[in-house]
Amino acid sequence: MTTEVSVFYFAKSAELTGLKSETIRVASELTTVELWQDLVSRHPRLSAVRDSVVLAVRQEYLALGDVRVSLRDGDEVAVIPPLSGG
Amino acid sequence: MAEEVSCLKARLMEKEKEIVALKNKLALEKNSLIDLQEKVTTLPPLKLKAALSNEDIMRYSRQLILPEFGVQGQLNLSQTSVLVVGCGGLGCPLAQYLAAAGIGRVGLLDYDEVELSNLHRQVLHGEDSQGQAKAQSAAHAVRRLNSTVECIPYHLQLSPENALQLIQQYDIVADCSDNVPTRYLVNDACVLSGKPLVSASALRMEGQLTVYNYRGGPCYRCLYPKPPPPEMVTNCSDGGILGVVPGIMGCFQALEVLKIASGQGSSCGQQLLMFDAQDAKFRSIRLRSKQASCAVCGENPTVTHLVDYEKFCGSAATDKCRRLSLLSKDQRVTVQEYKSIVDNTAAHLLLDVRPLVEVDICHLPTSLNIPLSSLEDRKSEHIRVLKERIGRVKEQMSNESQVPVYVICKLGNDSQKAVQVLEKMSGSEVDFVTVKDICGGLMAWAQKIDPSFPQY
Repeated sequence: MTTEVSVFYFAKSAELTGLKSETIRVASELTTVELWQDLVSRHPRLSAVRDSVVLAVRQEYLALGDVRVSLRDGDEVAVIPPLSGG
Repeated sequence: MAEEVSCLKARLMEKEKEIVALKNKLALEKNSLIDLQEKVTTLPPLKLKAALSNEDIMRYSRQLILPEFGVQGQLNLSQTSVLVVGCGGLGCPLAQYLAAAGIGRVGLLDYDEVELSNLHRQVLHGEDSQGQAKAQSAAHAVRRLNSTVECIPYHLQLSPENALQLIQQYDIVADCSDNVPTRYLVNDACVLSGKPLVSASALRMEGQLTVYNYRGGPCYRCLYPKPPPPEMVTNCSDGGILGVVPGIMGCFQALEVLKIASGQGSSCGQQLLMFDAQDAKFRSIRLRSKQASCAVCGENPTVTHLVDYEKFCGSAATDKCRRLSLLSKDQRVTVQEYKSIVDNTAAHLLLDVRPLVEVDICHLPTSLNIPLSSLEDRKSEHIRVLKERIGRVKEQMSNESQVPVYVICKLGNDSQKAVQVLEKMSGSEVDFVTVKDICGGLMAWAQKIDPSFPQY
């Protein structure tokens, strides 16, 4: 089973992917680290921010790891590296 | 004789007048001078205010009649101290609103001085404060706005040695800093001293805000256990920033500080608020409570005292540009050496690898512009133009030697990366070339060769 979700890229991740958002088709049942790997396979440069990024699904933080997530059509995934400027 | 005496008397009177004028001037200056702290000292406790004065009531009347705030909220504010770490794009509007609202004490910390390129976003400073310590300049502006607020400017760099002593003396800390090591330092110091940390950041057209270490919520390390690799961090002087973006985030910070200080409490303790200025959108990500495994606020912390944050992050605690050194000496030329190449009209290609938006600001007349990112991605239309231009230079050359390519950017970092890319391409993707980096880039050109060339 796959599902269509919108991915939003913020801060450095928008620069690395060259995108602010995209719609992708992914497995509807997967772990957060599998979701992340799917994104990295589309945008290999993302791997540079792997250890310092907040991943959110339906506007809720999810730790990157063996955490199961069920995606539904139209869900919002967000990739959020920290900003440090001021 | 009599004439001489009257002449002397007249001169004496003149001098006496002068002394009076100087004394008045001195008194004025003294009045406006705020003691700039070069090191952390112990502050006396804030004076408790039992009731509002008539002047307070008039000044704060519009917020006093808010049911959420009221007299008790105002009294609470007057008994709260806030440390503002960084008096830049975030710290200026934050300090301004805290002072206007009647916070009891505000510590303004910044090690830097005011520069012309700060003024578009650091709105407490003015043209006449260029060169002044930012902490001092911000303190002057705050004093003008509300002289009843106790204002303490610190002209120093926050460090593992002074951070705890300083932060322990304040009730709330606001992180308005501009670099990663300082963000971890402030976080750890707040966790170790049990202070809520109202943290905001901004770059380009984006902003973020979270209140860390607050009512069971996460700290900065819970969210970001590892610092980003230094080359993944963009600062404001490299990435750019529209002044109003940190303005909005600094105001948001002020709002959360005022809610905590007045007793209403913040709702950003387990939220990451994001602002997208381009789309005029706010998004809010729900965060989890603090992580049991966190190195500083978790159940078995490994960080029990402040450490070396520059080492931890692999970068300096400043937003000034880093100087990369990727090349050997014979792969680089100075701006003076490049000037003589131009003067001798030696055939060569000058390649400017800055983004187009920067080339629009200024460029050297003969340069070919191909951004570093296009070279790295081997953008086909750019590679075609590059091949063409190398071919044209080759035609101008009388001997069979390789075409010399000189690479320039703003400060000489990206140009070094571009030299490495071009060396890989030489002889395969393009004709054989000899590539050299122009040290220090266009800013060195402006400083050492052509003073009429703009600096940015």
